[in-house]
Amino acid sequence: MKSLKKSLLIAMMFSASSFLAVAQAEITGLKVIENVYNRPVGDDMMGDLTMTLTNSRGENRIRKIKQLSKDLGEIEKKIMFFQYPADVRNTSFMTWGYDEAGRDDDQWIYLPALKKVKRISSDSKSDYFMGSDFTYDDLGDRHPTDDGHKFLREEVFEGSSCYVVESIPKDEEYMYSKTLTWIIKDKWIGLKKEFYDEDGDLLKILSVKKYEKIGGLWIILHSKMFNTQKKHTTDMELKNVKINSGIAANKFTVRMMKRGIR
Amino acid sequence: MKKTVIFWVAPLLLFFLGASEVWAQSTTFTGYVRNYTGILLKDDNNYSIVQDTFDLRIEHSRGKVAFKANPYIHFFPGKDPKIDLRQSYMDIYLDSADIRIGKQQIVWGKADGVSITDVISPKDLGEFLLPDFEEIRIGIQALKVDYYMGDNTLEFVWVPTFTPNKIPDENSIWYVQPVFPTTNIHYFKEDVPANLANSEAFLKYSAITSAIDYEIMVGYMWDDDPTMHVNQTIDPTSELSLTVTQKHHLLRLGGGSFSTTIAGYVVRGEAAYYTGKYFRSADPALIDAVVEKDYIHFLLGMDFSVWDIKMSLQMVEQKIQDYDEQIVNDENEDTVTFLISKDFLRETLRLELFSYIDINNNGSLVRPKMSYDLIDGFQILAGFDIFNGEDGKFGQYDDNDMIYSKIKYSF
Repeated sequence: MKSLKKSLLIAMMFSASSFLAVAQAEITGLKVIENVYNRPVGDDMMGDLTMTLTNSRGENRIRKIKQLSKDLGEIEKKIMFFQYPADVRNTSFMTWGYDEAGRDDDQWIYLPALKKVKRISSDSKSDYFMGSDFTYDDLGDRHPTDDGHKFLREEVFEGSSCYVVESIPKDEEYMYSKTLTWIIKDKWIGLKKEFYDEDGDLLKILSVKKYEKIGGLWIILHSKMFNTQKKHTTDMELKNVKINSGIAANKFTVRMMKRGIR
Repeated sequence: MKKTVIFWVAPLLLFFLGASEVWAQSTTFTGYVRNYTGILLKDDNNYSIVQDTFDLRIEHSRGKVAFKANPYIHFFPGKDPKIDLRQSYMDIYLDSADIRIGKQQIVWGKADGVSITDVISPKDLGEFLLPDFEEIRIGIQALKVDYYMGDNTLEFVWVPTFTPNKIPDENSIWYVQPVFPTTNIHYFKEDVPANLANSEAFLKYSAITSAIDYEIMVGYMWDDDPTMHVNQTIDPTSELSLTVTQKHHLLRLGGGSFSTTIAGYVVRGEAAYYTGKYFRSADPALIDAVVEKDYIHFLLGMDFSVWDIKMSLQMVEQKIQDYDEQIVNDENEDTVTFLISKDFLRETLRLELFSYIDINNNGSLVRPKMSYDLIDGFQILAGFDIFNGEDGKFGQYDDNDMIYSKIKYSF
């Protein structure tokens, strides 16, 4: 079963089932990151996502999205329905992602004011998602082979035994010069991640605040991304999560984009 | 008249019949309040528009049926307010089909800001092309049926009564007086009678695939723009007199559109072939000074991003077939549209420049604007509408350059 590894929410899903037996002697940085990336996480999911953007003055902006995704073999389809703020309500966004290496996603957007579905070009993986502190790569799209990985150490972090892995992009022009990730050994959850900018200075810190086991899978329900340079924070909270609920394939169509989720 | 009333009232009845239950269920109220103020840059800086709008969207669904109404009120200083329903319709959701009945806006095609196969909803041109497209499109009373086969859709639209484009009032800065060799003109209008034989029908097959999205359509419709039939008489005082009768003619059209992604570029195309169009002619041998000609209208466009700057370019041509030099319109009318935009400050500040360029007449409409979301759902927008040229569809408004603001609170 192919994993839903490119989904926004799937990026937040980490299960432990298959890899507990991996011996420390076999552990490499690449293996750890691959284990996190390739983990089976179910055939479909849905949930309500709330993003709270907080600036340095403590002012908040809220974004609410209902989202669904489904693994259809070589294609993973996902659809997002924007519910808040009011001026983007009923906007929807659909993506078809492909297993085929190097193949760009197909994306469409429905703008209720225009009353039509438009094909749009794939977002750059370095673009920020809806003005938040998360790029599309941060949300899970980045493939392990895009970086070189180095296993640094094991240490206990916030009460959990973790592997610490340093990842350096192979593309020197990439927006991060390196990342450091703390991964819980028995759950393969990235509990913390530090992002360093092109000058090697700390740029952002991702922290997992809450995770639970739902449908046999570890689900991160609350994560926080803090931009240390701009003192800007994005809290991403997930509610009403359903895994393997048998979402019909016809939910991922133009019909549903226009009609909205009901 | 009865039919009109039923079309308007039926959705409201559905809503209010079960009022107590309905209001307690999933009724949603959204909309906006907006101030729109425009000032002309020439003459005495007269106001081009001062408009306050209350726009309400009411939606309710109950299983396989849903209802939506969009009443709005425009207030103008010193004038009566304009109250209307932009849309008011019922939806019925079946397993493989959706049915929509009532007043609705229908949008087809892949073009932006240009109508080629997007011809079902007529346009309110009371302020030329300046309002948002949602406000330009006139809702029509129609039956729309969509039948779904996976990612393929067959759509049928029946419009029982014809609604023409709305032209600017005669005292509007957007009104253009037709030019004739005399001022002794008698104007008449021939309306299209509301009966079954005069209804309009459209059919579209559309699909989205990973490689390409496309639409194929046919239509049987009345021309939304009337043709002026001109008859010349010499009265007893030997003064030239003209009788101008505005008539709408039946059009038949077939066309299609596509959209695909090539190396990060979204490439779009759209074309339609029209028959039954009447054009004004200077040929004195013609009856009513009009001639029927087919024409083709097509577009090729591209959307792309460079350094996070989004750009869109469209090239549009209308070509009259079997052209006659006496026809008032040019054989080929070419237009280019260009859009460039960039977001700043976490998508709260947006700069945009949109332009129509009239190649035939060296005219253009240039529309730079800046919008800022002060808080979520509260937007301040300021911009210019600059007309260039001497004649043609944009140059004729060279005196109407304006600066404007829109302050909008969405809820």
